[in-house]
Amino acid sequence: MADDEQREADSGGTIETNPVVVVQEIGQIGRGFLREVGGMFWFIIQTVTETIDNMRRGRAPFRAASFFRHTERAGVGSVPLVAMVSFFLGLTMALLTGYQLERFGTERLVPGLVSIAFTRELGPLLTGIMLAARIGAAFTAELGTMEVSEEVEAIEAMGISPLRFLVAPRMLALFLLMPCLSVISSVAAIIATSLISRAYFNIAFVYFNDLVLNALLIRDIITGIAKSFLFGLLISAIACYRGLNVTGGAAGVGTATTSSVVTAITTVIGFDTLFNIVYVVFSPT
Amino acid sequence: MVELRHVRLRFDEKLVLDDVCLEVEPLERVVIMGQSGSGKSTILRLILGILQPTSGSIFFKQFEISRLNRRKLQQVRSQIGMVYQYSALLSSRNVRDNVALPLEELTTKSREEIDRIVDEKLEMVGMLGAKHQMPSELSGGMRKRVSLARALVMDPELILFDEPSAGLDPVISSVIDELIIRLTETSKVTSIIVTHEMDSAFRIGTKMAMLYQGKIIESGPPEQLKQSKNPVVAQFLSGSTEGPILEGSQDAIATK
Repeated sequence: MADDEQREADSGGTIETNPVVVVQEIGQIGRGFLREVGGMFWFIIQTVTETIDNMRRGRAPFRAASFFRHTERAGVGSVPLVAMVSFFLGLTMALLTGYQLERFGTERLVPGLVSIAFTRELGPLLTGIMLAARIGAAFTAELGTMEVSEEVEAIEAMGISPLRFLVAPRMLALFLLMPCLSVISSVAAIIATSLISRAYFNIAFVYFNDLVLNALLIRDIITGIAKSFLFGLLISAIACYRGLNVTGGAAGVGTATTSSVVTAITTVIGFDTLFNIVYVVFSPT
Repeated sequence: MVELRHVRLRFDEKLVLDDVCLEVEPLERVVIMGQSGSGKSTILRLILGILQPTSGSIFFKQFEISRLNRRKLQQVRSQIGMVYQYSALLSSRNVRDNVALPLEELTTKSREEIDRIVDEKLEMVGMLGAKHQMPSELSGGMRKRVSLARALVMDPELILFDEPSAGLDPVISSVIDELIIRLTETSKVTSIIVTHEMDSAFRIGTKMAMLYQGKIIESGPPEQLKQSKNPVVAQFLSGSTEGPILEGSQDAIATK
């Protein structure tokens, strides 16, 4: 008995070096990843299909009250957090870049630098990360608890599509509100930069305004907003998918919530990189 | 009304249901009995189309449940009510909104009409006074009654009950049983009740079926099962620890 345990402990500690087993394990991980991606993709498609299907039958896609409740919680409720974090990050960024550029006498590049960085990149990205943590976790925990307590099954048993009833209003709320929050993030960061520029680099507010307007391009703003829509869709889809696939009671809800936040943040950063690569390749100027 | 023809269901390696055949006639109250984990609730989920059988067919009226497309299945489900073991009321909605949910989502009735129907159903189960309360403020028996009102709200032809008296004291359990009998009779509804509580089973059932090791080993009127010569049925009804049910199981080891 003791020998068995010793052997088990020994084998558990060693790293598998057999190439066939290593390839098999990599294959299994790859298959699991593709199954997840496929499942998520079909989840989005199915939600959209069932919602449109209901509209074709002359019904509202979902209850307006439900949609507005989610927009309030996801959107209005997130404004202070998004604004505050972006404001502080704007302050820090303006200070750090300003002190470096000041050595070359180019501190007046700070307003343009921060505003481009936030409208095109950091605004959507930061908002995405914050909403994945704040709202994605809430969606997963809420739907996961409903799944565990058979509420989701009861909805399905009544002949109501859980995707249309539970997922669609959440998805649409986050999809529509992400760009708004992203704009708030950029504005907060630009306000913070204007304060630093005025206080430390003697850039008057009017001059600051001109510098920002000269530096910003419409396409920077459009890129940021397009990204925000995508992030909103991804975060809500991941959160709801994880929530509706909870198994294993309360512990399962906890695991799914953690997994949802990690997956959503990783996916947002991954898609941001992908988006930038595609954007630079296809629209270099 | 409902027919299960040679239904098999396998989860990975485990054969949950093995060649189950069951017929439910209109207005019958069929009780499916069996040990915990024997697959009783699974039969209800198969009838609702939430689970798909590995083989065999399930019919509700003229519809073969496992062959229906999503939209048709949703329409059929609206003709079936389900009362869950732990009620499964939506915790974010009050009693009124819980009962009104199918009407709001599946019909084009006006708010006034919905309110009238909801009041009528809540009155039937004696819960009109709790209309504005949240599920968390209700006792287990009250939740069951609200769940029953929700199951009745679409005037279904079939109601499925999953352990209706589980977790309730004997008095409240009897109240729920009486309510099930009264409502199914007045509303002319067929019902399938899954339970392993013998008092409830004999009180409610007009027909009983015993599920053991994935098979229906005996079915018939309650009197027939009471006098059954089948050792499994006899042991189950008597609640004895001596007999074939516990042979070789973990529970048998625990009794020694």
